[in-house]
This record gives sequence, C-alpha cells and structure tokens, in this order.
Amino acid sequence: MKATRKPMPIMAHMIPFFPDLPRSHRVARALIDGGARYLEIQFPYSDPTADGPDIQGAGAQALARGFTVRAGWDFIASLREGDGSPEQTPLFVMGYAGLVFAHGIDRFVARAAELGVEGVIVPDLPLDSDEGLLEAGARHGVNIVPVIALGAAPHRVALVHEARTRYIYASLRRGITGSHTDIGEENIAFMEELGSRGARVLAGFGVATAEQVRAVTGHAHAAVVGSAFVRALRALEQEADNAKADPADHDPDPYGRVRALVERLTGLEARNGPD
Amino acid sequence: MKSKNETGPLPGYFGEFGGRYVAEVLRGPLEELDAALGLLDRDMEFWKLLGRIREEYIGRPTPLLFAENSTRALGGARLFIKLEGLANTGAHKVNNAIGQALLAQRMGKSRIIAETGAGQHGLATAAICAKLGLECTIYMGEVDIARQRPNVFMMELFGARVVPVTSGSRTLKDAVNEALRDWAASSADTHYIIGSALGPSPYPEMVHRFQSVVGKETESQLHDRGLEPHVLVACVGGGSNAIGFFSPWLERDVPRLVGVEAGGRGVGRGDHAARMNGLGVPGIVQGYKSLFLLDGDGQVQETHSVSAGLDYPGIGPQLAALGTAGRVEFARATDRQALEAVSFFARHEGVVFALESAHGGYQAMELARTLSPDQVVVVNMSGRGDKDLFITARELTPGPWRRFLLDEAAAIPAPAEAEE
Repeated sequence: MKATRKPMPIMAHMIPFFPDLPRSHRVARALIDGGARYLEIQFPYSDPTADGPDIQGAGAQALARGFTVRAGWDFIASLREGDGSPEQTPLFVMGYAGLVFAHGIDRFVARAAELGVEGVIVPDLPLDSDEGLLEAGARHGVNIVPVIALGAAPHRVALVHEARTRYIYASLRRGITGSHTDIGEENIAFMEELGSRGARVLAGFGVATAEQVRAVTGHAHAAVVGSAFVRALRALEQEADNAKADPADHDPDPYGRVRALVERLTGLEARNGPD
Repeated sequence: MKSKNETGPLPGYFGEFGGRYVAEVLRGPLEELDAALGLLDRDMEFWKLLGRIREEYIGRPTPLLFAENSTRALGGARLFIKLEGLANTGAHKVNNAIGQALLAQRMGKSRIIAETGAGQHGLATAAICAKLGLECTIYMGEVDIARQRPNVFMMELFGARVVPVTSGSRTLKDAVNEALRDWAASSADTHYIIGSALGPSPYPEMVHRFQSVVGKETESQLHDRGLEPHVLVACVGGGSNAIGFFSPWLERDVPRLVGVEAGGRGVGRGDHAARMNGLGVPGIVQGYKSLFLLDGDGQVQETHSVSAGLDYPGIGPQLAALGTAGRVEFARATDRQALEAVSFFARHEGVVFALESAHGGYQAMELARTLSPDQVVVVNMSGRGDKDLFITARELTPGPWRRFLLDEAAAIPAPAEAEE
C-alpha cells in the first residue's frame, strides 16, 4: 500500500498505554506502517515539567491505565518483534530525569541497549549535569540525544556541539505552551547551526502540518511531531464517546486515523500531486 | 555563571543534593537570575529598601516570646517561641516573596508568577505585588483551591489572578509544574517566585538568603537576653522557615537543630509527607536532586498532611544534605499531635500556631519535657493559625462549627437571587 515516493522524514511521538495498552500498540503499528522514519516513545512521568498540556494529559492517562517502566520496555520489545519491515524503524525512548534516575541511569540505558533502542532522550539531564548519562550511552552503545532549545545561549549550543553526539534534539520554540510554531529565519538558522558539524538534527515542538514538516526537513534531519498525534487520538476518543449508544461498546481502533495522519504529514497522501 | 555557594563541592550543590536539572527552555531564565543575584551584594539601595519594607510593612523584628506558662506546665527546659507568624500576611513566606519581588523589579520584570499550596505563599506574593504594583498570577491546584477558599479570596482581594491547576494530583507540586511552564514562555517580562528553599539552583540558596533574617533576629534576641539556645525546632515542608531559622548556626556544632516533618496518619505510603529518616529516596524532581517520596516505579508519590503547607513530596536540598550529614536532626509529628500542639499553645500562651508550625510546636513540647530547666528550647512559629480556622474548628469542635457553617450558608442568598 505504500507509495513509491519517499516520505518526508518525521519522528513520530507516542506514549505507551495512551489511550490504553492495546490501542497504543495499534498506534505504534500505524506510525510505522504510515512511514514514520523514527518513533519517539515517551515514558510518562508524574511531573513532566517540559510537556505541553496535550502530552501531559496523555501521560497522566497512560499512568492511570497502568504504565510502568517495565511495561514500557515490554512494549518496545513487542514492537521490535512485530516490526516486519526490512529496515526496522529506529526507536528513541524519551523520559524525564526523575524516572530515569530512580531506575538507575546505567540500568535504564543498558535495558534500552538490550532492546536495540537507537537513542535515549532525557530533556532535564543537561550535558553539564547529566549524572553519567552520556557515558552510559557510550558504554552500552546507545545514542544519547541532547536537547537544545531555540534562544539557548551560545555556550549552551557549544556544549552540545562538543558532545559530538550522532543526534541533536532541537526545540523550535522558546516556551512549552502555545500552539503553532513558525518556521522562520531564526529557526532555520538555529537548525542549520546545530547540523553544521554533522549531527542529525531532530527538530520539533508545535510541528503539526505537512507544510511545517516540509519547512523543517529542508533544514533538519527529521521533524518531530508530538502533540498532533495526541490530539488526533483525543478527538477520536471524543467522537467515539459521543457516538456510543451503550457505554459497553468497543472503543474504536485508532489505526486508520493515525496512519492517515502520518501519511498526510509525510507527504505520502498527496501522491497524485505534482513532482 | 553559576551562583556562589560555599557549602557544596559544586556550584548550586549542597553535598550531593541540589543542582539545576532543567530542560533547556528554563536554562536562560535561571542564568539571568544568577546574574541578577550576583549584583545584589554590592547593591546597597536594594538592602536599604528591603530593610525599610521589613520594618514598615512586614513588622520586623517579629517577637521572641518566653513561653512561661508552657515552660511551667511541661516541667523541663525553658521554652521560647519565635512569633514569626506575626509577620504581615501571617507567615514567614512574606520574607522571601518581598526579597524576590524587589529583585524582579531590579531585573525589569513587570509580572510575577507563583505557585501555592495552602495559599500562604500565594497570599504573601499577591500582597507584595499589590504593594509594589506588579501584575500577579498564582497557580494553585484545584484540590487546594477547594479546601483553601479563604486564601483564594484574599489573593483575589489583592488583585491577583488565581489559576486553577487541573493536572496530576491537582495540588502543590502540580502548581509548581504549571508555574514552570508559564515561566518557560514568559520569562522576558516575568519572574517566578518559588515559595520554598527548593527547585533548581539558584532558588534554594536565594530563598535561604531571604529567610535568614528569621535566624539572625532570633540570634540577636537571644543574645540580648543573655541566653544560649540548646535546641532549635522548626517544621519542614520544603524547609524555607527551617533553613532561615537555623541559618546562623549551620556552620557550628551547637545548638541541636531539629526539623519536624509531617507524620500525617502514619508511615504507610501516601499517609504522610516525611522524607527523612529513611522514608524518602534520592531523586531528581522539579529541577533539583534531593530526597523524595517516590512509588516503587519512580513516580512521585501522593502525600498527606493535615497542613497543606507540609503536604509536598520533596525536601529542600540543603536540608536533605544537612540531615544526611547529621547536622540537622529530623522528627515527625502526626496530624493529631499537631492539633494537640495548637490547643496547648492557645490555652497556655494565647498564641495560635499554624498547623504547619504546630508540628514543630509538638516536638518542642516533647523536648521541653525531657530537657533540664537550665536549657533553652526555641521553636519557630513560622505561621499563625487564623488561616486554619476551617480545619481546626472542624477537627476540634465539629458540631457547633457545622451548625455555624450551615447557618452562614443559609444566610447567603444564591447569587442569581441576589442580583434580582
């Protein structure tokens, strides 16, 4: 069913156990089948200080539905087993310092390595006080992905360059809340600067349309799309709730909706269009 | 560009605790704060202005009361009470709120945000914003808003906007998260006043500095009376009143310094808010490393205390380090014991402790009983108990209080009718 055209590279964000465990498996499947270049799998945390309201709400729901770190690893393991594509979709695990530290940084990274995870992202363990995260990554052969935000001081950007990581995660917005991110001159210069020494720049925050993906991927390795998927899943839940005659009716399979969204975002859907 | 701190091996650390574990979006505002704090030492105007406000507005120095009747009733050491709760707005919180608000003005910020649990820090912040003409937004958990309606009313009376926080457990820690989120986007014109000696560096050291006025005053008040303290006692939620009160003695071997945590209903998970003495584990939460109450999977645990001001899962990093090193001892008082102390001091001294401070009060009673008459125990009544009326009256005299509330409610016409 895949178009022969090359999809624009996105890193699609998802949370295991959101909306619940079985449906989050379907979401992951749809993201992979729909052509997401990478998956960012966020382990939800009780106090997610850098999440916007959509992702925070989804994380809280996932915790209420039974997410544990062990279940998160099981989710990744089953994703690996179920991925029949010739080139397995690389998986990144994102988690907050509180959760990673509580489980032991070395143990956390080691477990990621065992499961073939491509990278670990911990936004609140900055490189100059990372509790040994970067070293653990080197020890176990997992990429540690530093996060840097638009407007960061030059000495912070330099710190990221000096770490010589394979990937850099760039937040294209100064704040956390808000809705739309303009990909203007400032953002473009930021992405170009981050990629100037050869690192693969994963750039996002507020990227939710194919136009934005196109604009970002012109200057970065891949565009990160996060809350757009959460919002789509929320909308689906809402519609289902409204349509339910009987509360015992089955919740809908999110596969179709999510896959359509990925295809739209990566430009696959417009396969009859020009070029 | 990190802030100065002599007690830790690394800037911003106290032993192994403290630090600045924040996403990059918050790095800029914290570095800006470092720079502003760095200028304070030479800013004589700032300290002069702060001194004047302390005297004219807060009502400093707050008294040190010899609790003569209590001393006699307890039959042991001489007991003194630092009446910090007599500070305008009812608690020590105002010392920090004013310091930071003045600093914010120095930094050219026109808007202040703050989190609040019980409402004391929010109230102090709202009051000082009214005084200084700053725009003020207070984040408060939905659950706390429901149980602290009087303080919400006061904050709004001061002109603050009180924003209900509906995420997570909808209490203090969630209000902190929401304030951090606001600040990440708004720091160009906004300063975030954290209410306790915790959070990412430089907050713990800054809050300590602004609260140290409590300890300095106590030291000179004791000195004036020719007294040497043997034990100092303070309640510990985040720990800002304790660290400020203990401040002059931290580098010395004496007196004994005792922090009292919320023992709640017992030591079961979710029944208390005590992090020391083995109940908490090392963690990184809300930007700092310290001891926290976490569940088996590393998620932050829900806590309980009759006093909303102690109902928080983490302890300030400097106190965690001092406790680990043995300089500060930690004890617990339960909900019941705190209420018992409220009654005791009301009856014997005509002084009403805030429920938070009453945890320290209870421990001070215990110490005064067991120590000898030539020894001196000083407890910090960090807040006064007027704000707790709706909790203490319900607990101590449920029947009459219920009748009163019903009558009051009946006497208020429903808003729609009132407009007609």
